[in-house]
Amino acid sequence: MEALININKLNLFYGTFHALKNVSLTIPEKAITAFIGPSGCGKSTLLRTLNRMNDMIPGTRIEGGIAIGGTEIYSNEVDVETLRKKVGMVFQQPNPFPKSIYDNVAYGPRLHGVTSKKALDEIVETSLKSAALWDEVKDHLKRSAFGISGGQQQRLCIARALAVNPDILLMDEATSALDPISTLKIEELAQELKDKYTIVMVTHNMHQAARVSNQTVFFLNGEVIEYSDTEKLFSNPTDQRTEDYISGRFG
Amino acid sequence: MTKRKEFDQGLEQLHNLLVEMGGFVEEALVEAMEALKVIDIDRAKIVIKKDPLLNQMEEKITEIGSRLIATQQPVAKDLRRILSAFKIASDLERMGDLAVDVAKVVLRLEGQELIKPLIDLPRMAEIVQMMTYESIQSFVQENVDLAYKMAKDDDQVDALYGQITRELFSLMMENPRNIAQASLLSFVGRYMERFGDHATNIGESVVYLVTGNRPDLNQ
Repeated sequence: MEALININKLNLFYGTFHALKNVSLTIPEKAITAFIGPSGCGKSTLLRTLNRMNDMIPGTRIEGGIAIGGTEIYSNEVDVETLRKKVGMVFQQPNPFPKSIYDNVAYGPRLHGVTSKKALDEIVETSLKSAALWDEVKDHLKRSAFGISGGQQQRLCIARALAVNPDILLMDEATSALDPISTLKIEELAQELKDKYTIVMVTHNMHQAARVSNQTVFFLNGEVIEYSDTEKLFSNPTDQRTEDYISGRFG
Repeated sequence: MTKRKEFDQGLEQLHNLLVEMGGFVEEALVEAMEALKVIDIDRAKIVIKKDPLLNQMEEKITEIGSRLIATQQPVAKDLRRILSAFKIASDLERMGDLAVDVAKVVLRLEGQELIKPLIDLPRMAEIVQMMTYESIQSFVQENVDLAYKMAKDDDQVDALYGQITRELFSLMMENPRNIAQASLLSFVGRYMERFGDHATNIGESVVYLVTGNRPDLNQ
């Protein structure tokens, strides 16, 4: 597996708060990497650095580097819009636009200059199929995206992210607002998508990390405590703090 | 700090049941061997009669362990603790059966004189009793060194077993009328030898519980 994301001695400060401390990680491509840890441990912060979502938070300061596919994403030459096209994100609450299902998926490609109806139709269909939503919505693509269930909305958001052909999909607690069946569908979807995309997920549900991911990173107070194959981390972790966390002794 | 009252209580129940089973099995072994030494039928019958209690304890362990897996989703050492409990309980249950097998030999010897005074069989029993005690202690203390030390004693058990079978074979050859009883006594040697192997298995489970690795102590 190629190391797609290289995080090198990353430090992040929100004002005076030191949120990420000397984080170095190599995230392989075409696999699922899960970030786990108690609230405030820095896992979401790190996820958000991967498509520079933290840029929007005033007072954020970053030291160290993150390279994606060899390109330093915090260098001045990098266009953030292009970066976010390559690194899509799905959030905790499904956040479809107040538009039709079709227009939600077509939004990104249109923004990036695709105008032909035929091309857009194709992108919408492929993306919805990739997000395992096509069969459920193909007959009413023109209906409002708010008319479908929360689980379907979340898959629509995934389809929307896939429509601009990203390399990486970030999932920030993407199933925590969903019922168990919808959660299972997203988990299965993630398993399928990892053949084509690199997925990094933050989850509060440790068993989700155990079920779905290939590697797991355990964070505590802004530091990486343990990073290993998921099977190893959940069956025989090296660090006692990891053991205590995954066994529910704190957090 | 800990927020897992119910889970920890369940694990403690498993722990206590295993210790109880260990004590039960040791006693069954001692009683069966004492009964054999003087062919005490009543004593042997008590060993047989009590065995279902041991089976019930094993079932209880399966029940509690399954419930914890279903409701608590244990990982890492918690999971190994439950898996080891299943395995150790199964070994202890088999050890109880072997003590019953010895007691059944006593019943079949009813009314007979022993063809020889029993010396090596009680010695084997003493060693496997000590191994059983130490295997349970290694579990209680999570003491890997003790598990390894205990497993070494199994060599003595195997050596005694070889010696006993040779001796009994020569008694059979000397006088064919010895064959029935000598066969039964050599079975007892075999039961003791198996008993020791199960104690060694418990040691392996302890090493797995503590380290996550499965060694082979039965070598």
